[in-house]
Amino acid sequence: MTVPSTQTVVYEWLRHDKKFPHVWCPGCGLGILLGALVRALAASGLTKDQVALVSGIGCAGRLPVYVDVGSIHTTHGRALTFATGIKLSKPELTVVVVMGDGDAMAIGGNHLIHAARRNLDLVAVVVNNRTFGMTGGQFSPTTPMGAKTTTALYGHIEPEFDIAAVCATAGAALVARSTVYHVDRLERLLLQALQKKGFSVVEVMSPCYTNFGRQNLMASHVVMMKQLKEQGIPVERWQKMSEIERRGSFPLGVLVDRDLPGYLDSYREVCKTAAKLRSEGKI
Amino acid sequence: MAARKRKQSPQHEDQREKVRFYPAWCKRCGNCAAFCPQHVIEMDQWGYPHAVRTHDCISCHMCEKLCPDFAVTVGEETPSSVSRRGAAGPSPGTEGSLVSQDHSPERLAKTPHPDEEEHD
Ligand SMILES: Cc1ncc(C[n+]2csc(CCOP(=O)(O)OP(=O)(O)O)c2C)c(N)n1
Ligand code: SF4
Ligand code: SF4
Ligand code: SF4
Repeated sequence: MTVPSTQTVVYEWLRHDKKFPHVWCPGCGLGILLGALVRALAASGLTKDQVALVSGIGCAGRLPVYVDVGSIHTTHGRALTFATGIKLSKPELTVVVVMGDGDAMAIGGNHLIHAARRNLDLVAVVVNNRTFGMTGGQFSPTTPMGAKTTTALYGHIEPEFDIAAVCATAGAALVARSTVYHVDRLERLLLQALQKKGFSVVEVMSPCYTNFGRQNLMASHVVMMKQLKEQGIPVERWQKMSEIERRGSFPLGVLVDRDLPGYLDSYREVCKTAAKLRSEGKI
Repeated sequence: MAARKRKQSPQHEDQREKVRFYPAWCKRCGNCAAFCPQHVIEMDQWGYPHAVRTHDCISCHMCEKLCPDFAVTVGEETPSSVSRRGAAGPSPGTEGSLVSQDHSPERLAKTPHPDEEEHD
């Protein structure tokens, strides 16, 4: 596959009426994700009119604003509910939802597990930077125990959520994880999620130096990127590792891939049944 | 580590433009320099990246993909891409232009697809 040049991607998929450089901090992983997502969209063969991009609030929520497709920047935690409405009324669209970890797991946690359970054909991209980036680095449900945050000055005292594991348990059809450092893998996983029928989740580990790294005495976002490089272990290798070896790292790749009955099909069936009963005068 | 050979290939001059930066979008984060496997890129005294060993570049596109700001392009610069730079329709901000004055015309100029034939 030839790599589309940055210039081609920028010209064809980013909005020309938005101001660049974008708002994110220097070295923020969100810019890398934006590139990977756009390249995956280009590789999927979808046209811009066939894609809808939905986001909640947060630094991650800013992402759809830059992509030249139908996009909506919704309220905090409710991106999946808007996306559900879009998909039900226009099933022909490929609906991609971009959320931060706070957006998806804190205020929107309920929506995420129920969207996964319902298995509607959506792509959820959850950017896990382990903190509430936009509001100044408070702890989120994915902040690791012991980490310092604006609201945990002496170290966080709660264990963290594993987003991928939660989604897998809740019933998502595809669950995958990558970091922004492993950008080629990220691109492949996003493409796979776009092509998968059913609820697909891609957890993207991303550095937030400004509001997480600085509080935890990391020297720069480059150091954080190097850390992600070491912590992310391909799932094939991860499975062979012992519990002790796994400490401090996480598996990358496709964690769950299964075919489940989709909500859209069941919904169409029930519509048909209702229409039939009505035509027979039974309701 | 063995000393890196600094042999100047005959194509060296032509490759000077192989790794190109777009300073107007660069935020000087340093990803491109830190993660180039061939150590092609270095930061200057102002913190901006520049390609110093272009002949070592293996076109892996890592710098391009890890730049959060779309400020690196890897690839041979063709005469047509040079002429197209800055030549995307009316000047930004003027009548008929879709691009406002604040925008970056070079970055938004269409580049020909490698497989596409050019009809100019
Ligand atoms: C209903 C509501 N509650 C709270 C907020 C304040 N708020 C804005 S962004 C944000 C957290 C964002 O964190 P995350 O989703 O992790 O995204 P990031 O900024 O880290 O990408 C919060 C709590 C809000 N905008 N709306
Ligand atoms: S605060 Fe963190 S997540 Fe937000 S733009 Fe800056 S680095 Fe990125
Ligand atoms: S394409 Fe690869 S080798 Fe060439 S400058 Fe970029 S990162 Fe380095
Ligand atoms: S990665 Fe991009 S933004 Fe960062 S220093 Fe290099 S060119 Fe500039």
